[in-house]
Amino acid sequence: MPELSVNGPTTLEPDIQQAMTEKLLAMGDDELILAHRNSEWCGHAPILEEDIAFANIAQDELGHAGLWYGLLQALDGSDPDQLVFFRDADAFRNARMLELPNGDWAFSMLRQYLFDSYEMVTLEALAGSSFRPLADAAEKARREEIYHLRHTQAWVRRLGLGTDESRRRMHAALDQLWPHSGQLFAPLTEEERLVHATISPAPEEQARRWREIVIPFLQTCDLQVDEQMKDQPAGRDVHTEHLLGLVAELQQVARTDPEASW
Amino acid sequence: MSVNTLAPVDTQWPRFEVFQQVREGAPFANVGAVHAPDPEIALQNARDVFVRRPHTHRLWVVPATEILSRTAEQLADGQEQADAPDEAPDLTAVGDERRYYIFRKTSQRRSMNFVTQWGDVQAASPQSALRLALEQFAEDRPAFVWWIVPANAVLSSRDEDVSSMFEPAHDKSYRMPTEYHTQTMMRELEAQDRDA
Repeated sequence: MPELSVNGPTTLEPDIQQAMTEKLLAMGDDELILAHRNSEWCGHAPILEEDIAFANIAQDELGHAGLWYGLLQALDGSDPDQLVFFRDADAFRNARMLELPNGDWAFSMLRQYLFDSYEMVTLEALAGSSFRPLADAAEKARREEIYHLRHTQAWVRRLGLGTDESRRRMHAALDQLWPHSGQLFAPLTEEERLVHATISPAPEEQARRWREIVIPFLQTCDLQVDEQMKDQPAGRDVHTEHLLGLVAELQQVARTDPEASW
Repeated sequence: MSVNTLAPVDTQWPRFEVFQQVREGAPFANVGAVHAPDPEIALQNARDVFVRRPHTHRLWVVPATEILSRTAEQLADGQEQADAPDEAPDLTAVGDERRYYIFRKTSQRRSMNFVTQWGDVQAASPQSALRLALEQFAEDRPAFVWWIVPANAVLSSRDEDVSSMFEPAHDKSYRMPTEYHTQTMMRELEAQDRDA
């Protein structure tokens, strides 16, 4: 296998391009759907400062979605606005844990932590991608993820080690979220082509690294992962009933007047 | 359990004052306050509330109860020693000398900042630090307000935090309120109403 290099090509072979578009769509959809869920906290977070912090994180994730959709546009010409506002829910390829309703603050914080850790592991690997535009975008997003992770780690620790109530809520959140976490690493169709071309890392290796980081950290927060918990089915084309409502709300204004200019 | 129904129950987290340094070596300026359960969360909240726009090199957060604050009026009334009831510095503790940062406000023009850092002194208490400051730091313009901040009450961001906490703000577009041309738009709408 060739060495990873950030000085690689900026265009892709046709057989790799198809796999790359699928990958970028999944990455963009993850960020978009999580950003939308986080934005629902705006005006409702437990305290003003955290309201601002979480809205800030939501905007960052939306910005990351823009990075991945932008790369996709450069590859196959697809219009990010069309993808976001005029695509039917069943065509979204986000992981299911990101579309689940916000639940309580513990659930949203833990979900954000699990995703931030996933994103960090992914971005660190992508910073060495042989596909240079991807490496550059990953490096840009990574700086913000360092801060997200610091924030969500701080809250997971405080809630996990906090009061009986905060601990009870965190345990409930972990029980609900953990079975969905494996899907983050489910290989996409022909993703092995990207791995072979050192464009993106091997999903199973990423899953291993993620678990090595997340499980010990959660333990320090008095949150035990039940390794026996059964994973939900893996395909990103399978969604919960919650995505439909989310996408309807996300697209409502744009679809009311598709010709409007903003 | 008895509840004091006369006093409103304060459910807010403690208040931390936030100080921003725009570039290395520049004086810190108080830009506002955040509520937080502890200093680390306060530092993060300070970043989220006050660093949306570029140019921060370092942030400090300080529990508000650690700061001795005096207005020119209070000083004129001889209140260097007296302490407001909601301020916590222990007036009786006179131990080893500690370092205090001295902040003051000398201009009403910079509305985004309250007090700005002027220097620091070694003193045995906030009150002696204030007295030293009043003696040592004669300026052309009188100070409206003095703040005395114990150095050991400061939680500071670190050099390695700059790239993740402050630099991403450089890449974000933002609009000043004037860019929305709200007043112009309102006048046009009013004019349309009059014409109609």
